[in-house]
Amino acid sequence: MNPFRDYLSAVWNILRKDLQVEWRGRQGVPVMLVFSLLVVFLFNFALQLSPDLQAGLAAGLLWVSLAFASTLGLNRSVSLEQENKAMDGMLMAPVDRSAIYFGKVLSNFSFTFLVGLVLLPVFSLFYQQNMFKPMLVLVMVLGLGAYTSLGTLLAALSIQTRTRDVLLPVLLYPLALPILIAAVESSRSILAGQPIADYQSWMTFLLAGNILFTAAGLMFFETILEE
Amino acid sequence: MSAQPSDTNRQIVVNDLVKKYHARSVLNHLFITMDKGALCILVGDNGVGKTTLLRILAGLVRPDSGEIAIGNSSSSREPQHRRMIGYLGHHSMLYQDLNAIENLTHYARLYQLTQAEKIVSESIQSVDLKNSQYQMVRTYSRGMQQRLSVARSLLHDPEVLLLDEPYTGLDKQGAQFLDMRLQSLHRQGKTIFLAAHRPHRLLSFASHVAWLKDGAIAEYSPVQDIPGHPDLAAYLQESA
Repeated sequence: MNPFRDYLSAVWNILRKDLQVEWRGRQGVPVMLVFSLLVVFLFNFALQLSPDLQAGLAAGLLWVSLAFASTLGLNRSVSLEQENKAMDGMLMAPVDRSAIYFGKVLSNFSFTFLVGLVLLPVFSLFYQQNMFKPMLVLVMVLGLGAYTSLGTLLAALSIQTRTRDVLLPVLLYPLALPILIAAVESSRSILAGQPIADYQSWMTFLLAGNILFTAAGLMFFETILEE
Repeated sequence: MSAQPSDTNRQIVVNDLVKKYHARSVLNHLFITMDKGALCILVGDNGVGKTTLLRILAGLVRPDSGEIAIGNSSSSREPQHRRMIGYLGHHSMLYQDLNAIENLTHYARLYQLTQAEKIVSESIQSVDLKNSQYQMVRTYSRGMQQRLSVARSLLHDPEVLLLDEPYTGLDKQGAQFLDMRLQSLHRQGKTIFLAAHRPHRLLSFASHVAWLKDGAIAEYSPVQDIPGHPDLAAYLQESA
């Protein structure tokens, strides 16, 4: 028996189960995608800005879309485990409970990242920007990684409350604001073609956010879920 | 005081357990010891704390104070503790958008069972759901979901079974099936702690009865000795 392999196997099993449920039910990603696309369309037609201004707005709108879509996904992720108390079934399993946290973070991240990848060509079309830049994808990975690490922890906190649909965004947005600002600033610099030195500090901040929120998840996830 | 079982025959030891929800005391200095192979019915009025006690034993609820031991494990935070326990609660713990095989396979993998496919197939067969094993759980009746939940709780062949009102939602045939399954598990030497609001159907094959009253075990008696406990006998008579 290899404890590290068993741990990774538990994480993978939880991720695989979430992917399977999503594939069957198709209740998460399609809703997130439709919502994000609506944000893109509405802002594009409502603001009627010149191409230069639109380009400046693209980074901010991308992250607004991703943040809202991710919150929808997190709520869906919570309700999936709350229905029939399936979370209890996982908590009963003889695996380190932080593996449940990592499994849920990975599934939440995967769904939001997938939505982000679909949004990039749409933004390119509507905001006349080349969004296919490797550094922008890296910012998405770091930004969404930190956002979903924090969001999964807060979703676990809200799982036992009747007002969880409201509670999650109320807790999440203020705490995630620094991450969103760093992600927007990095994205804006990348889209403006600035050298990496100009936005390196924001990228470092995103990396630190990932480490901080993951550590918080490791420390508090089990305690939060026990009644 | 540690809640380590001193006697090798002891399977569940609960010492001085206290649990409050906000200001309301649910379990109030509760003690109980159960031997290996016991089939104990936990009786008591609604809201007296039966579910809370079982969830604490299952490691799903943190007690305010007191100690519990299951087998050789005295900490519910140890994965080994949880491996010994099969828990059937009020909810099925099943995913509605997965079928029976997918649900049980998910749990079999989490319990790191070797030959998961074979065990899952046998489990589904054992609860007579083979013909509907590819249907989404969402389409199952309440009784079918309960039978699949029984299979889920027994999947890893646990030493201790904690069952909270397991007859809920079962029709006559389903209840008879559960009777037979419990008797079979009892004969295999599993320790079964079962909360039941109407315990009469179980008295013919249970070994013990524990009466939870005012947050503590008021009476704990072998079934054959119930006539020597007039209060417990009267309570069981009333709940019939």
